[in-house]
Amino acid sequence: MKTRNYHIIFILLLFVGFSCFGCARQDNSNSAPGTVTEVQEESDDVLDMLLSDDLFDDDFTSDRGYHDPWEPLNRVVFEFNDTLYYWVLNPLNKAYTAALPWDLRYSIGNFVNNIAAPVRLVNNLLQWKIADAGVVLSRFLINSTLGVYGFGDPALMEFGLEPKPEDFGQTLGVWGVGEGIYLCLPVLGPLTVRGTAGFAADAFAHPMVYFIDSLWVSGEYYALSRVNLLSLNPDVYEELKKYSLDPYVSMRQAYLDYRRTLTNDNVLLQRSDNRL
Amino acid sequence: MNMLRSLSTSLLLIFLCGFTVLASPGPTEVLKPTLQEMIDVIGDPALAGIEQKASRRKKIMNIAAKGFNFAEMSKLVLGRTWKKIDQQQRTDFEQLFTKLLQNAYVGKLEGYAGQKIEYKAERIKGKKAAVSTLLKNPGSPPLPVNYLMINADGGWRVYDINIEGVSLLRNYREQFRSILRKDKFEGLIKVIEEKNESFENEDFR
Repeated sequence: MKTRNYHIIFILLLFVGFSCFGCARQDNSNSAPGTVTEVQEESDDVLDMLLSDDLFDDDFTSDRGYHDPWEPLNRVVFEFNDTLYYWVLNPLNKAYTAALPWDLRYSIGNFVNNIAAPVRLVNNLLQWKIADAGVVLSRFLINSTLGVYGFGDPALMEFGLEPKPEDFGQTLGVWGVGEGIYLCLPVLGPLTVRGTAGFAADAFAHPMVYFIDSLWVSGEYYALSRVNLLSLNPDVYEELKKYSLDPYVSMRQAYLDYRRTLTNDNVLLQRSDNRL
Repeated sequence: MNMLRSLSTSLLLIFLCGFTVLASPGPTEVLKPTLQEMIDVIGDPALAGIEQKASRRKKIMNIAAKGFNFAEMSKLVLGRTWKKIDQQQRTDFEQLFTKLLQNAYVGKLEGYAGQKIEYKAERIKGKKAAVSTLLKNPGSPPLPVNYLMINADGGWRVYDINIEGVSLLRNYREQFRSILRKDKFEGLIKVIEEKNESFENEDFR
C-alpha cells in the first residue's frame, strides 16, 4: 500500500515533468539560432562574477563572510571526521578502488545520479527553472533507455545535455532563506543549517527511499554511493589537508564558496555529477 | 613612383610593428606564454626527477614571475595586517608566501602530465581582468580554472586563481586570519615555514 502511493507520486512527477519538457522544447527552439551567443553570454557572466570579488577591500565581511558560532564544537567533529576518513573511509575506498575498474565505478556513479533525477527535477521546478527541468527529464529518459538503466551518459555524450544539479538547499537559497550557521556534522561533513534542511528534504524526493522500505538499507545505499563518489575523486580531501595551514578553515571557506556559487549561478562550475 | 610607394608601405609596416611592441600585452597575451613555458619546463624530461627539483622549480618560478604578481598576492592575502607590519616583515612574508604558492600551485601542476589549457574568454574591468580557461587532462573531466589579473607595476599579472567558485587567495586569507587571531604575525610565519618544510622531500616528476 505504502509503496503504491509512492509510485503514484512518482508517476505524477513524471507527468508534471512531461508538460515542462514541452515548455523547454519551445524555449530551446526560440533561442536555437543563437546558441553561440548563449555560450558567450554565459562566459561573460562568469567573468563578471569573478571580477566582482572583494579581495581588495580590507574588511570584507558582508555576504562573503561566514557565521560559525559553534566553531569549537565543529572543530572537534572535524577531527573526528578526519580520523574516520583515515581509519575507515580511506581503507574502504582503497579496497573498493582495487576491486572495481574506473570505468565500472564511473558507470555506477552515472547510475546513482540518474536515479536521483527526481530530486533535481523537483528542485529545478521549485526554482522555476523550467527549461532546466526539461533538460533533467530529457537526460533521465535518454540515459534510462539508451544509457542502459542510466549506467551510461549518452545524454551528455551524444546530445550535449549537461546535468542541471539542483538540491533543496539551493532552492531555499533561491527563495531567500539565509544559510544559517555553519555546521560540521559527524560523517556528513561540512553543511550549513540550510544545507542540512535541504539534505533532509531531498531524501523525500529520492526514489530509493520509496523502493527500499528499510531506513538501514537506504543508509547503506547512500554510504555506498558516497564511497563510489570518493573513489572517483580520491585526492580531494588529502590535497586540501596538504595545501592548507588550517584545514578546518580551508574546508569551511571552500564549502561556502562552492555552495554560494552553486546557489547563485552554476556558470563557474563544470557540470559533472561525478565530481565531489 | 613605384619605389616611393613600396618605401612608404614598408615604413608603415615598420611603424605598425613598432606600435604592437610598444602597446603592452593584454591579460591573455601575458598568461598564455607564461603558463605554456611553465608546462614546457614541467614536461621537460631533462629536468625530471627529485635531484632536479630545485633547479626545475627555480626555472619555473622565474617564468612565473612574469605572469604572477606575488607582491600583490602577499599584500591581499594579509588584508589589514599588511598595514601593521614593517618593510622587513613584508619582504620576509612575501618570500615565504611565494614559496607556499610555489609548493601548492606548481606542485599541483607537476602532478598533471600532458595537460592542455584551453583559453575561453577574457574580460577587462578597469585595472582588473578575468581570464577563463579549461584545464584538460587525459582521462579526467576538464577543470575550469579562472585567473584574475591586475594591471599594476607595468603589466597584467595574476593575483588570484579561482577554481569552481573557490578562490585560492580568499581561502588562504581566511586561514591566515584565523591563525593571526590566535598566534599573531610571528605565529603565522612559523606555521608557513613549517608547511613549506613539509614539501621539501616530495616530488611528482
